[in-house]
Amino acid sequence: MIIGAFFLLWVSTTFGCTQAGEGTDRASTTVVFKHGKLSGDGRVLSDLLRDFERRHPGLLIREELLPADSDRQHQYYAMNLDGGKAPFDLLAIDTIWAQEFAKAGWIAPLDEVLTPTEREDFFPGPIEAATFQGRLYAVPWYVDAGVLYYRRDLLDRHGFEPPHTWPELARIAKLVLDGEQDSKLAGFVWQGKQYEGLMCVALEVLRSNGTDLWSGDRDRAEYGLRFLRETIATHGITPLSTSMADEESTRWIFGEGHALFMRNWPYAWSMLQQEGSPVRGKVGVIPLPAFPGFRSAPVLGGWMLAMPNNSTQQEIVRELISFLTSPDTQHRIAMELGYNPVRRALYTDESLLELRPLLKDLYPILLGAKPRPVTPYYLLVSQAVQPEVSAVVVGRRSPAEALGIIRRRVEQIMGEQTSPARLGRS
Amino acid sequence: MTERSLAEIKKQNGTIHLSERAWGYLFAGPAFILVGLIALAPITAALWLSLRQQLPIFGIDAFVGFQNYLQLFEDDRFWAACRTTLYFTVLSVSAELLLGFGFALLLSRLSDGGGGGLRWAHVMIILPWAIPTVVSAQIWAWLYQPDYGLLNYLLYAAGITEGRIDWLGDPDWAIHAAVVMDVWKTTPFAALLLLAGLKTVPQELYAAARVDGAGTWEQFRRITLPLLMPVVLIVLVFRTMDAVRVFDAVFVLTGGGPGNSTETLSIYAYKTLFQTLQFGYGSALATAMFVLAALLSLLYVLLLRRHVQESA
Repeated sequence: MIIGAFFLLWVSTTFGCTQAGEGTDRASTTVVFKHGKLSGDGRVLSDLLRDFERRHPGLLIREELLPADSDRQHQYYAMNLDGGKAPFDLLAIDTIWAQEFAKAGWIAPLDEVLTPTEREDFFPGPIEAATFQGRLYAVPWYVDAGVLYYRRDLLDRHGFEPPHTWPELARIAKLVLDGEQDSKLAGFVWQGKQYEGLMCVALEVLRSNGTDLWSGDRDRAEYGLRFLRETIATHGITPLSTSMADEESTRWIFGEGHALFMRNWPYAWSMLQQEGSPVRGKVGVIPLPAFPGFRSAPVLGGWMLAMPNNSTQQEIVRELISFLTSPDTQHRIAMELGYNPVRRALYTDESLLELRPLLKDLYPILLGAKPRPVTPYYLLVSQAVQPEVSAVVVGRRSPAEALGIIRRRVEQIMGEQTSPARLGRS
Repeated sequence: MTERSLAEIKKQNGTIHLSERAWGYLFAGPAFILVGLIALAPITAALWLSLRQQLPIFGIDAFVGFQNYLQLFEDDRFWAACRTTLYFTVLSVSAELLLGFGFALLLSRLSDGGGGGLRWAHVMIILPWAIPTVVSAQIWAWLYQPDYGLLNYLLYAAGITEGRIDWLGDPDWAIHAAVVMDVWKTTPFAALLLLAGLKTVPQELYAAARVDGAGTWEQFRRITLPLLMPVVLIVLVFRTMDAVRVFDAVFVLTGGGPGNSTETLSIYAYKTLFQTLQFGYGSALATAMFVLAALLSLLYVLLLRRHVQESA
C-alpha cells in the first residue's frame, strides 16, 4: 500500500507539475491561495479576498482548501513544492515549517513585505520562527500559545487560588479530587498522545524548569519529564487515557466538566463559553505554571503566509500578504473568526477587547511565547523524539533513559547535517 | 480448428511467419504491459529510490547503494516495528482463521437446514468486512474509550472487571486492542472463503463415513479438514499479506503510540516517508516490508505445494 501510495505521489509530483500555470488564461491574473480549512465561517476570508480583488481589477484569487489535519497539509506542500512548479501562489504554513521550507528553497524571502521596523509591531516569537539566515521567509498570520484552563467554581468551592507552579498545581488537583470524590473528575488533562502536541507539552514543562529537551541542564530535564509521568503514576491527577489524548479530546473532557485543569491552545475558550456548554462561565485562563524559581514557558503556535519561490505572480502575492496581515484585516479576522492577531497594537483596541476580553489576558502570554526549536531539522527531530517522550508518559522508559536516547538521536541528526551522506536515520 | 485456420490465413498472406506460441505472446502483450505498468513500475521505482539518499528539503539526492539497508540493521526502531508487525500478524491471523472456521461451519449447518435466517446470517457476518476500515477503527476507538466507552461499561456491568481499563492508553493493551478490532473486521473474509470451500466437499463422503460409524469429530478431522486445507492456506496467504501491511486500522486507533508500542512497519514507513520526507530511507523500509510479506507468502506457497503433492 505504501509503495502504491508513494508511486502515486511520485507520479503526481513528477508529471503533475505540467498543470501549473493553468487558469492564467481566463482572468488577466489568477492567484491561487492554498490553506487549511479555517474554523468558523469560511465566508469571512472570502469576503476579505473579494475586497482585495475589487482594488485590483482583473485579479482573480482562487482559494483552495486543504484538510485541517496539519500533517496532511505538510505532506501536500512538500510534494508539490519539491517539484519546483507548485500549483499555487500563496500558502499558509505552520510556524514549525518555516525554517524547513526556507532551507529547502521552496519559499521566497519576503523582506520587502515587512521592513525590520515594521516587524516590531508583531510578536517577537513568530518573527523569530520565520527568520532564516537573517531574512524573513514568512509573515505571521495568526498566533497561538499554550495556556492553562481551570475551573473557577471548583477552586472557589475548595478555597484555592489558581496555581503558579507545577507542584502547586499537583497539590491543588489532589486536594480537590479528594474533596470532590467524583470518580469521573480528572485533575489535570493535557495532550499526551504520541504526536506534535506532546512535543509542545514536554517543551513547556522542561523550559519552565530552566532547561530544554535536547539541550540544557540534564537533571532538571529529567525532573520535568518525571513530573509528566508522575501526574499519571504517583499524583494520580491525570488519567492514563491522556497518553492517547489530543487537543480535541482534552477539550471535550474539560468541556463536559470532567477536569479541573487543562493545558490547551486559546481556541478552546470560545467553545467552552458557548451557550449550552456545561462549564460556561466557570472557566478561567492563566499562564502555564512553572517550577519554583523559573518562569512560565508557553510554546508558540500559529500560522504564517508564505510564497512559493517559483510563483509567477510575486508582486501581487506580496501585496496580498501585506493586505492579509494589515491592521484592518487582522482586526476583522479577530472580530469575526476569533483568531489571535499577530499585531500587538490590536490587543489594546477597545472594540476588539469588548467582544473578545480574553485577548487582554493572552497578550503577555503571546508576548512571552517561545517557538519550538528554530531549525530546518525540527520535523526530523520531533519525529525521533516523540516516541521516547510518549514512552516516558506511559512508563515504558525511565526519564533518564529516554533523555539519553533523545539527546543521542538529536545529536546524530544535527551532526549529520554536516555529512549529508549519512543523514536519514531517525 | 480455428487455430489451424488462423495459421492458414497467415500462410496465405505470406507476410508474417510466427509460431503459435509467438502469436500467443503477441496477443497477450498489451495485457503484460498493462500489468507491468500497474504492478512492476511502482515496485521498481520504490526499489530504485531505496538505493538513493533522497531528502528534498536539504537538496540531497544521491545514489548510495545498499547503505539504507545497512542502516536498517542498526535501527532499533525498525526491529521494534518488525516485532510489532509479526506479533500483530500471528495473533490476528490465527484468531481470524479459528473464528472464521467456526462461523463457516455454523453457516454451513444453517444452509443445510435452509430457511430465511440464512440470508440474514450472511448479511450480519459480512457487515464488518463491508465497513471501510477507517470508519470501523474510529467506531472502535469510541468503544475503547476508557470513561464512556461501551466496552468498559459492559465489562463492569458483567462484573468481569473492577475498574476501567485504558485499552489504547496502556502500552500493553494497545496492540491487543488493535488485534481485536482487526479480527472483528476480517473474520468474515475468512469465514466466507472457508464456507465456499465447505460447499465443495462431496456429501457422499460424510454419508459413507456415517455408515462406517465415524462420529462428528472424526468426520471433521478425516474429511472436512484435509479437503479444506488448500482453502485454509489461501485464507492464510491473503490474511497474512494484509496483516503484514496493516496501516489504517492501527493508525486510526493509536497512531503508533503510546511509546511506539503499536508502531507497525507500515506506520514507521509512512512517518519516515511523509512526515520527515526521507524518501530513500522510507523506501528501504517499504521494501523491507515487501520482502517480509514475500517471504511469508513463499512459505505458504511451499506448504501448499507440498500438501497438493501429498494428496495427489
